[in-house]
Amino acid sequence: MSSNILNELPVLLKANVINEETAQKIKEHYSKNSDYNQNKLFMIFGILGAILSGLGIILILAHNWDDLSNTTKSIISFLPLLIGQLFCGYTILKKSENPIWRESSSVFLFFGIGASISLIAQIYNISGDLNSFIVTWMLLSLPLVYLLRTSIVSLLYIVGITYYCCNSNYFTYPKEQTYLFWLLFLGIIPHYYQLLTTKPQSNFTLFHNWFLAISIMITLGSIGDGNEKLLYLSYMCLFAIYYFIGRNSFFENQKLKFNSYRIIGKLGTLIILFVYTFKSFWEFFHKNELYKNPIITSPEFIIASILTIIAAILFYKKNNKTNFKDFGILEIIFLLNILLILMGEFAAIIANGIVLAIGLLEIKRGNQLNDLRILNFGLLIITLLITCRFFDTDFSFIVRGILFISLGLGFFLTNYVMLKKRNRNEK
Amino acid sequence: MKNKNILLILFLFVVMAQLFVPSQMIYNQEDILNTGKIVKFQCEPIDPNDPFRGKYITLKFKESAIKVKNLKEWNSNETIFAKIETSKDGFAKIKSISRTEPTDNSIYLKLKINYITEYEGNKIYLDFPFNHFYMNENKAKNAEKVYTESTIDTTKIAYALIATKNGEAVIKDVLIDNISIKELAKANNNINK
Repeated sequence: MSSNILNELPVLLKANVINEETAQKIKEHYSKNSDYNQNKLFMIFGILGAILSGLGIILILAHNWDDLSNTTKSIISFLPLLIGQLFCGYTILKKSENPIWRESSSVFLFFGIGASISLIAQIYNISGDLNSFIVTWMLLSLPLVYLLRTSIVSLLYIVGITYYCCNSNYFTYPKEQTYLFWLLFLGIIPHYYQLLTTKPQSNFTLFHNWFLAISIMITLGSIGDGNEKLLYLSYMCLFAIYYFIGRNSFFENQKLKFNSYRIIGKLGTLIILFVYTFKSFWEFFHKNELYKNPIITSPEFIIASILTIIAAILFYKKNNKTNFKDFGILEIIFLLNILLILMGEFAAIIANGIVLAIGLLEIKRGNQLNDLRILNFGLLIITLLITCRFFDTDFSFIVRGILFISLGLGFFLTNYVMLKKRNRNEK
Repeated sequence: MKNKNILLILFLFVVMAQLFVPSQMIYNQEDILNTGKIVKFQCEPIDPNDPFRGKYITLKFKESAIKVKNLKEWNSNETIFAKIETSKDGFAKIKSISRTEPTDNSIYLKLKINYITEYEGNKIYLDFPFNHFYMNENKAKNAEKVYTESTIDTTKIAYALIATKNGEAVIKDVLIDNISIKELAKANNNINK
């Protein structure tokens, strides 16, 4: 793109479209940008190179050279670790200001740690416990995040501890109820805070926004201990909290792709609301025999209460400034949780009403902002709602057919009207 | 400069910790191999590839369960101590299980309960931490074949030689009719060539 524009400069100069000064400015602008892009490329290739060569060494060692004695093999197993440590040491001493060195040497060491432990496990035939292996590996890697200020290792760490949490809680039966994950999770927060305050626009921050939000979303379910149904409430509050974080002025002023909290918060709330619209869900929810432990003291209830309080505080903070005059339905749904639970199956009807209202309000907002995406999002919500109702209501085929045709026409008409409006405005 | 020195010292601590963990693993395993008591666990037919650690054969042991009177006392996934005795045929047998670590001089293993069943008369199945035997990737396939054939063939006896100490265990070797599986796989490899 930039080279195309640079090639065009002489033509534009000749045709007097731009003057000499502007041409010079354009040239300078692109030469700065190309430096930046080149650095970014170097960084990507540096990290990729470190990962590939690290993995390559593991594979060569995994061949299991059985002509060598255990001692020789053990010494060789330390190689990836030692090489990684040497690179990191050199980076701290000589290249501490160079992010390419910091990221690639620490990512190499990250894999070196895992490789050494697992190769020794191979030599001594330790089938081992995957959970303790991952925890040891992650704990030994965490200091690198702070000593070398490396974000790639931080991302790998998030993936590692999330996998650990899933493995011990979801993939093992009976599950090992541990809260170690949350402690490990706290370990990465200072780095994230640093990223948000110093480099809010960097790609690493973007990835952290998404990785952390998704990690908590995946692992929140691990607190379940017999009363798993109460987790719906916790999730609803978590999504509300995400949504409020996303609406915070810090994230609100950034591009939407940076705002993982707002996207996940909104979609998550809608998905649970859709679940709430099913009558059968509430029948299932109120079956008492499915609660294995006393509700009040169960971790599910305690966490749901804490999350509700946090969400309520955030709600208050956000809307206090405007005297509670300007807030969307989505922001109070987490409070409805409490009312809905008390209602029994009637809650399904209310939930249907709320989803319908959200759909209609989105259409209205799309229309006001002249934004086709928002408009169609609203229509999609209503379509999904009607599709869901076909599963648990007994409409005749004729009624269903008519509903779908009207929805289809609705899509055509609204889009057509809006496009026409836009064309008119442009004229 | 002062900052850099602090950073470097901290980094050296991390380096030490990173070196300590694998060294500690080696030390433990070597200690068990050198000073532990040796028991033989007879094997059953079974199978294998671990992306990180290479190729291995999976071992299944004949003696992997124990009958108990009251199943409700035990939970699956629980860690227990199993006392091991040697039967007349020379192979290891599980004598009893308990929640407390035996203090007498007997051989015992720290194991996890795999699952509990009433089906075969109140049996508790145990999970052995030494069920992977890693091999050279060129030989693993042959070794697996030799191993499977020998466990199906009733005239051949396959067993794993295990060194134990303070409840921890390490595989020394897997043998078929007293010949190491590494040797057999090597011989088999040569015939195939």
